[in-house]
Amino acid sequence: MRIIQAEDLKDLATGAAVLGTGGGGDPYIGSLMAQQAIRRRGPVKLISVDELADDALVVPAAMMGAPTVMVEKLPQGDELTLAFRKLEAFLGRKIDAVLCAEAGGLNSTTPVVVAAETGLPLVDGDGMGRAFPELQMESFTLHGVQATPMVMTDDKGNSVVLNTVNNRWTERLARAATIEMGGSALIALYAMDGATAKRAVIRGTVGQAIDIGRALREAHTRNQDGVAAVRDHLNAFHLFDGKIVDVSRRTVGGFARGKAELEGLDDFAGQRLTIEFQNEFLVARTPDRVLASTPDLITALDMDEGSPITTESLRFGFRIAVLGIPCDPQWRTPAGLELVGPGYFGYDIPFVPVETLAAQDQAAARS
Amino acid sequence: MATELRSIGVADLDALALGAAVLGTGGGGNPYIGKLRLRGLLEKGAEVRVVPLEQVESDWQVVSVGGIGAPVVGVEKIERGDECARAIRALERYSHRKVDALIASEIGGSNALEPMIAAAELGVPVVDGDGMGRAFPEVQMTTFSINGAATAPAALADEKGNEVVLSQVVNMYWLERLARAVTVEMGAAAGLALAPMTGGFVKRTAVRGTVSQALAIGRTILAARAARRRVVQALAEEHGAHHLFAGKITSVRRELLGGFAVGHVLLSGYDEHAGQEARVDIQNENLVLRVGQEVLAVVPDLIMLLDADHGEPITTEVLRYGQRVDVIGFPCDPALKTPQALNVVGPAAFGYPELTYVPLQEERGARAHHPS
Repeated sequence: MRIIQAEDLKDLATGAAVLGTGGGGDPYIGSLMAQQAIRRRGPVKLISVDELADDALVVPAAMMGAPTVMVEKLPQGDELTLAFRKLEAFLGRKIDAVLCAEAGGLNSTTPVVVAAETGLPLVDGDGMGRAFPELQMESFTLHGVQATPMVMTDDKGNSVVLNTVNNRWTERLARAATIEMGGSALIALYAMDGATAKRAVIRGTVGQAIDIGRALREAHTRNQDGVAAVRDHLNAFHLFDGKIVDVSRRTVGGFARGKAELEGLDDFAGQRLTIEFQNEFLVARTPDRVLASTPDLITALDMDEGSPITTESLRFGFRIAVLGIPCDPQWRTPAGLELVGPGYFGYDIPFVPVETLAAQDQAAARS
Repeated sequence: MATELRSIGVADLDALALGAAVLGTGGGGNPYIGKLRLRGLLEKGAEVRVVPLEQVESDWQVVSVGGIGAPVVGVEKIERGDECARAIRALERYSHRKVDALIASEIGGSNALEPMIAAAELGVPVVDGDGMGRAFPEVQMTTFSINGAATAPAALADEKGNEVVLSQVVNMYWLERLARAVTVEMGAAAGLALAPMTGGFVKRTAVRGTVSQALAIGRTILAARAARRRVVQALAEEHGAHHLFAGKITSVRRELLGGFAVGHVLLSGYDEHAGQEARVDIQNENLVLRVGQEVLAVVPDLIMLLDADHGEPITTEVLRYGQRVDVIGFPCDPALKTPQALNVVGPAAFGYPELTYVPLQEERGARAHHPS
């Protein structure tokens, strides 16, 4: 068990943005809310999933909606806990622990708020190990956990309880309600018991996010290379360093879709890279080969600072380092790839693990 | 009615569906599929008991139910049949209370039959009455809502098996917004069960006897056809219908906007209306009848288009160029004419702020002064 203090939230926000792979929403506002909640109610206990009793009731709390809306239309305060409490009332059972649905981006901090407000422990882990744009994209889905019953609440005082045939339908109906609610809502869903959580949760990702943030902060204090600090901490593959020479972006079906073109710098001089995104970075490729693709993590860092860069802040002239990080093994199974692989997002490429692609790359360079 | 209606049998279904379609004022969904569904249930031995409004117990939990969505979709995406029943069960599960009786939100169109289908499945009676005395396109447009019925919890169920409980809503407009958004995503048709009401409240606020009325209108039409009488004439004599126009449809404009069928129909008059042009504005239901520049009938009064040959009510989704139709009007229930009600179901609520509601009766009286 470790303790999350108010001071840890900054590190959590930074690390969560790294795991957000360009999307997931800016964790800044959420980290402020979590800091405030911890100052008022005390620190949050971060427990290993193994500390849960098999019959414990564990429930993730999150925000749903367009990240751009969520950072402007702030939760009034108690909506997050309200959704959580309403699901508890509907289930007719006390919830024993809070879970993180998405360690990447904004939703790394929302369960911290709920844990602080309710005094419940937070499980160290999540259902993605990164950020994904839709709510069925959870390791929980792979383990047969139903997203519903799900409760949604909004800032106006509306709340909705969903029961759906599958988690894909949960996403569709909840998305429609979220849009009507003004583009963001607070949600509690995927209630599961401790035994299921032990199988389904991607472990240690909340603590990992704090550690990534800390590694970057310490590198800054010691005037060390931030990119190297993040890369080494995650054993990431350094895919590219380059300058953004073109960005195109459009909103399609609620997604921010687009791509950024990079011209190589330093070791990568003379090379080009394209990163394609749909809220998150999904595919990184040179003119002749793919370097990494979803569900592996593709993260862009500012070359000078090592700070994570989101897709919406990509600009011409930015100098960025692109890292590839192996995703949780669950995502590489056939069922995992069906849920979040390149095909789901409309890319006609097979998934090849980033480490395999890197080895091929080295072999090609040697020959 | 000479005898009080106590149950619905297979022999009632044709007349009931026909009468409901008339009261649907062009909308409310085509009752044909619901009729087949209900016939199937009745033939398998299910019962549909009908309770007169006066006999509703004050402490009953009464739920108003019906289909929600675009009628155009309803005829193509055929309901599974248990949507309303599952919406009611979702409500029961959420509120931990059993429902004692069902009442139609709207007697017009397929929604006259939906509560009966659900009642047959759940084994509870339906109340002889409804919340509109006709059909309206939005869920808050009921005498229940107008009189302050609770807005939540309400439940939606679709044919795929999804259920959504609107457990808390700010007001009746938010109920409509959220229910509509969810319905559109469900495929533009779903079953909707509204917040449980007490029997006492229903007795005070429901439009009385509309199940019997629908049945009686349908029987009049069937009898007129059998006797080779003109249907509009029989409806005028026996039910006080106003024959407002007779003409041929020269244009139909209809599009799906936010889950609604919106548009208008143009008519070219014949017989006593020869040389006149009429226009009927539609938002799922027929809302405004204009002949020339003059508004002859306006929502919440009922405007119906009947096929000129057989008196078959023509719902907005089956309107076609070239159809010859009689346009008739019925005065709406007095409960819809209060200032409070007109705020919710008057012309302005449908985007006609320039139109003042003039009851059909008075207008006709005024028109009687014109030589015709």
